[in-house]
Amino acid sequence: MWTREVDGQRLTFHLAGINNQNFIMRDEETGTYWQQISGLAISGPLKGRQLTPVPSDELTFATWKSEQPKGTVLDDIAQFVPEYAPKNWDVRMQRMPAVIQFAERGMKARDLMLGIQAFGASRGFLLDRVLKEKLVNDHVGAEPVLLVVGEDNQSVRVFRDRIPGVDGAPDFYRLAPPKPGALLMDAATGSEWNFQGCAVSGKSQGVCLERVQALKDYWFDWRNYNPQTTIWGK
Amino acid sequence: MFRSRLTFTLILLACLALSLFFVIYPIYVIRPFRPQGAGELAVALVVSRFRAGVTIASAIAALASFAYYWRFQRLWWRRILAAAGALFVCGLAALARVNVYELMFHPIDRASFSESTRSKLDGGEKVIAVMVNGEARAYPIRGMSYHHIINDEVGKTAIVATY
Repeated sequence: MWTREVDGQRLTFHLAGINNQNFIMRDEETGTYWQQISGLAISGPLKGRQLTPVPSDELTFATWKSEQPKGTVLDDIAQFVPEYAPKNWDVRMQRMPAVIQFAERGMKARDLMLGIQAFGASRGFLLDRVLKEKLVNDHVGAEPVLLVVGEDNQSVRVFRDRIPGVDGAPDFYRLAPPKPGALLMDAATGSEWNFQGCAVSGKSQGVCLERVQALKDYWFDWRNYNPQTTIWGK
Repeated sequence: MFRSRLTFTLILLACLALSLFFVIYPIYVIRPFRPQGAGELAVALVVSRFRAGVTIASAIAALASFAYYWRFQRLWWRRILAAAGALFVCGLAALARVNVYELMFHPIDRASFSESTRSKLDGGEKVIAVMVNGEARAYPIRGMSYHHIINDEVGKTAIVATY
């Protein structure tokens, strides 16, 4: 997800090709070609320019709706609905061939990763293991991060594993069973936290953890654009 | 006279070859389920950028050559062959303007949105969600995996949603 203004000029993008299974866009205003995953202009008058990322989440609709009752959702375009991916599209995609392979450390091309590029480092988290663990404490570069799986067991968010204004490690753990509106507790302040990373009770009530952007991607694509990536979960 | 016919024939053939290259090469390189090398991709994108202009110029040159060739060529079957060649070059100029990727994956020309509480989307469906300047918006992944791109405005900010 990207903003689409460059130097005050609003750009309109069109699908324009594919580059090792990651698509290329072209803006109609300047004719520049842009790589979808990186937001980088790769050919044309604006070559080398970088679009600004817009933070995003991949969530189930139910989870998103519960958090954003006033939000709006894109309608299906009726005439193209028969072309849309079937409900088991992610299972079918796993079986599709990949045109580039990075068979490192036993990784398969279409292993699903949660990729984080932050704090001067890249780290890929094997999604299956994250979903199984439900709460992962790890590091990206030198920064501690927290990966939290939502109550739907599908949505994942990543936060900086630090409570603003509190020294030391927060030591988060999951509430079992979760309470309505609270998923985690931290041992440092005894506060309860929701899936949006905000404390809903306790000493830290009202404080929110810093979000860290993560990208759900196949291993081959993540590795192609993050050659220095490390891996968690393998 | 023979030299003139030969010259115009060569010009026509050159226009045909040039237009064929400018139309076919990018499609050949930039296609799904084929790895793209960095060098060939760079060339293919440059070719794509100039494809419209080059094929138009080629079509004009082909038509002009054909017009002169017609004057000097008496054999009807050679005239027809030259006409077909010039027409083909014009056809390539028209084809150069077709975005084959948007033929495969139709863009969203006019997006509409529903309030989340009124949407009939199943709760288990995956969405990509953004929050910009206090405005929340979600894009269902099954639809986005077909359209791939939507140029949108959220929270008074122009964004492009991609999947």
